[in-house]
Amino acid sequence: MSNILSDLKYAKSHEWVRVSGDIATLGITDHAQAELTDIVFVELPAVGRQVKAGEACAVVESVKTASDIYSPVSGEIVALNQPVTDNPALVNTEPYAGGWFFKIKLSHPAELNALLSPEDYKKQIGG
Amino acid sequence: MPKEILEMPIETATMELPDTKTIRLKWPDGHNPDFKTGQFITVYWPDTPAYKRAYSLSSCALDRGFYEVTVKRDGKMGTRIVDWAKAGDKLFVIPPVGKFLPVYEPDKHLVCIAGGSGVTPFRGFAREATRRKLETKITVLYSIRTPADIIFHNEFRELEKENPNFKFHVTCTRALPEHNWTGRAARITSDWVKEIATDLPNTVFYACGPNALVEFAEHLVIHELGVAKEQMKTEKWG
Repeated sequence: MSNILSDLKYAKSHEWVRVSGDIATLGITDHAQAELTDIVFVELPAVGRQVKAGEACAVVESVKTASDIYSPVSGEIVALNQPVTDNPALVNTEPYAGGWFFKIKLSHPAELNALLSPEDYKKQIGG
Repeated sequence: MPKEILEMPIETATMELPDTKTIRLKWPDGHNPDFKTGQFITVYWPDTPAYKRAYSLSSCALDRGFYEVTVKRDGKMGTRIVDWAKAGDKLFVIPPVGKFLPVYEPDKHLVCIAGGSGVTPFRGFAREATRRKLETKITVLYSIRTPADIIFHNEFRELEKENPNFKFHVTCTRALPEHNWTGRAARITSDWVKEIATDLPNTVFYACGPNALVEFAEHLVIHELGVAKEQMKTEKWG
């Protein structure tokens, strides 16, 4: 059974978003990391990059596949989780903590309303 | 006891399609591993030991002296192999593991649903069954975008000629008029699978490819056809 945290919002493409003021932190869900299996590479966007909701802006590779990571919200990348690029296994072991990817300053906070609740995400993954 | 990780030179590197390459990894002298058709190996380059990728064997257990994997240009490993790997380069190889194994019983029908480069393990399935002249029926249902994307087309057609129990069916989901494709042009449907799998109790289903295709196949087989989960084996790419 995948872990789904109650204080996060989720994208259909399996990213999670934690909001604090106008800053959102993003990562991929426990379900996503389990499907990908062992993560071996993470590539993050540059700080300062402007991204639009739905835009591919990071790459995760596992032993089985390479996957684009989509930002579920628009804004400016303001911080990166450097440790996760040095140790991609953090995505497997701590998907909601040490395995976060980047922080984004929200330019359109209303986009958060279009994201899935924990309950809806649970339904999506058949939990 | 953990199996030994070995450095193996690439003996041959063959472009199958513009974005897909088969590399043959030569076993060291005296190496004679016990493994099964359908398993996968994990490889990494000596200069990046933390970055590993797993690939299904496209050769079979009767192929001795080497492993073959067929790799699509995908991610850093896929790009490096397809664009740069050449004979003489060396890779470290973690020995074959996995449970995506053909059930070679005489009364069985193996229906193998593949998408994209998910067809590669089924080359091994068909090769071994053909060489051993097995009575096991094997049918590959291969979903691909255009005829230009078919991997091992000639070899599968040759295996069909050689082995009356092997059939290779292709469906193209995005064939264009210039492809002159006269075959099936639709996604895999339950009706098509029902036409092929006429003896469900003796059918074992396999699905290999992108998650979406494998999950679709699982739903089709288990929920639409009502086949027991134990009769289906899947290999997802994540």
